Amino acid sequence: MKLWVKLALTTVLVLLAATLSSGAAVLYQALLYNQEKTMESGHQQLSSTAYALARELQNGPFKGYSEATKNSYINYTMKKFGISKYVLIEDGEILCNRTPFDLADAGDERWQQEEGSGIIQKRGEQYILIEGQRVPTSDGSSYALVLVQDISELYQDMKRQTVLGLWILAGAAAIAMLLIFLTTKRILRPLRELQKAATDISEGVLTRRANVYTKDEIGIVAQAFNRMADKIESQVTELSRVSEQRRQMLGSLTHELKTPMTSIIGYSDTLLHVNVKKEQQQRALWHIKEECSRLERLSSKLMNLMGLYENDSISMEEIPMEELFAHVAQMEKYHLEKMGMTLTCTCSMGKRQVDRDLMESLLINLIDNGAKASKAGDEIFLVGEGNKITVRDGGCGIPEDEIGRVTEAFYMVDKARSRKAGGCGLGLALCEMIARLHGAGLEIKSKAGEGTEVSVVFSR
Amino acid sequence: MQGIKVMKTRILVVEDDSSISELVCMNLEAAGYEPLPFMDGLVTERFLKEVCISDRVSAKTEVPALALVDVMLPGKDGFELMEDFQKAQIPVIYLTAKDDVLSKVHGLKTGAEDYIVKPFEVLELLVRMEKVLKRTGRSRKVIQVKDVTIDLAEHSVSKGGERVALKPLEYELLVTLAGSRNVAFSREELLNRIWGTDYVGETRTVDVHIGQLRKKLGFHKVIRTISKTGYRLEDLDE
Repeated sequence: MKLWVKLALTTVLVLLAATLSSGAAVLYQALLYNQEKTMESGHQQLSSTAYALARELQNGPFKGYSEATKNSYINYTMKKFGISKYVLIEDGEILCNRTPFDLADAGDERWQQEEGSGIIQKRGEQYILIEGQRVPTSDGSSYALVLVQDISELYQDMKRQTVLGLWILAGAAAIAMLLIFLTTKRILRPLRELQKAATDISEGVLTRRANVYTKDEIGIVAQAFNRMADKIESQVTELSRVSEQRRQMLGSLTHELKTPMTSIIGYSDTLLHVNVKKEQQQRALWHIKEECSRLERLSSKLMNLMGLYENDSISMEEIPMEELFAHVAQMEKYHLEKMGMTLTCTCSMGKRQVDRDLMESLLINLIDNGAKASKAGDEIFLVGEGNKITVRDGGCGIPEDEIGRVTEAFYMVDKARSRKAGGCGLGLALCEMIARLHGAGLEIKSKAGEGTEVSVVFSR
Repeated sequence: MQGIKVMKTRILVVEDDSSISELVCMNLEAAGYEPLPFMDGLVTERFLKEVCISDRVSAKTEVPALALVDVMLPGKDGFELMEDFQKAQIPVIYLTAKDDVLSKVHGLKTGAEDYIVKPFEVLELLVRMEKVLKRTGRSRKVIQVKDVTIDLAEHSVSKGGERVALKPLEYELLVTLAGSRNVAFSREELLNRIWGTDYVGETRTVDVHIGQLRKKLGFHKVIRTISKTGYRLEDLDE
């Protein structure tokens, strides 16, 4: 059963029970009150009639009358007080009965009391009020007057009212039920939307959000749900981005492996099966060795990159950047001098949290890249200021449309040239990885023919 | 025919990796072709335009008979160069590491004659080249080995001007070995290529025919037995 049906049904049932029981209570109270009223009025009538009758019967006005005369006198007297609802009793004998009923217990003690008392008797469908008292004569005669009255009207009224009340209740209940059903359904409608959103998301529509703007608990749940969906979406996007990156890297890697493999297989095949000149045999062997060392370089760079992915081996420490620059300059000095280039360092940075080895290898990589692009006599600048370390060269630069791709693993702007210089297209990918581990990013500005400027920009 | 220098078939090698370029050239040279290496797409394009303009008959340099082209090239890639090759009427074999089916289909659809995936074996490359040359009617008409001339049009062989009578299978064997000179063939390969794949024979048959060729042409030192492999016809330009 749906929640809104359950809620509506429960509410309706509780409401019905409450109205029914309170209605019944009210009706019962009314019945009691009416009974009492009827009894009271009967009592008053009885006592006033008894009083009047006492005056008539006082001193035995019909003493000495014959039985028949006495009877007709009494009948006359009774008739005088009208209303055919009294029974007159003398010494337990019915003297006169003007009611259509037979009084069974004429000698009952109750009718001999000064104060009247009565009961309500049920005879079939009829309710009869029987009330009696002594007629207060002062001459010692014992007359009793009993009021016998059909009060079924009272109960029929009650019954009619009950039926009417039930009809009204049923009508009200029907309307209430309709209203409750509609409102409950309306209140719970956002839940359906929430459920649809969840289904959509589970089916892969990650951009789906629950459009619930109510301020109640459902609204709060929907907000939490949407926050969860945001998180899931961003994580899934991130995951697929990373796996796409890995896939691309693997693709490039196999391609990168194919080239040296082709050379090695081709040259060894040539040496085995083809009769080539002596010096060509030497060239073939040299190529095989050269391609093998290219593979070796590739594998060690890859190991570096993998190591960085698992970044446990990183130890950050506070290091004065000036000292780091000096160390880098010293390491690059011989290498650059051999190519006829100079490195100019300026540093106005203070201390920074870095991993010494990684940061050094990043800078050396950048300087080597600059050196590869430059020619003898050129100058390379290493500048540290603010939150930025920049390596600038005046070399051949990067074509504008390739700047975005140079940090991709295995990407080389000029393959032939890069290979000759011993590159395998992993340098900048490695640099970017190191920068990212330091919470920094790489910024590359370059103009073909004018030089390149690569900056490591720290976020703080 | 003695003394006449037979002009070698020119092959364009467009490959940006110097090591692979040298590998291909080395083998083409050994097999008796004249390789013409190019490393860059744009330079190749310029060369092809020149070929188109120059009058074929009066051209000093012979027009290449075939091009071996890498797909990924700096400047202009192999697929983009196809149009230029077609204008210059040079058949193309793609030579590439891109071994996915789609690029293969693309390569062949644009009009390439064949598609060889790296890494490849030398013999496979030579055989496929030979097939393309034959199909496009650019096979050599005459093969010269030492003092022996093979006239492919007339199916005749002469040594020092003297005609040598060879049996059909011996002739086929000689043409196969001389066509990819300096490259070793295994006995099984020779059996397959000359006797056909249906032939159920022993590899001894090859040995017998090789013996006949050696005797008839005096090629005892020219056709060498390569241990564990097979035979190789050796003739290097000095």
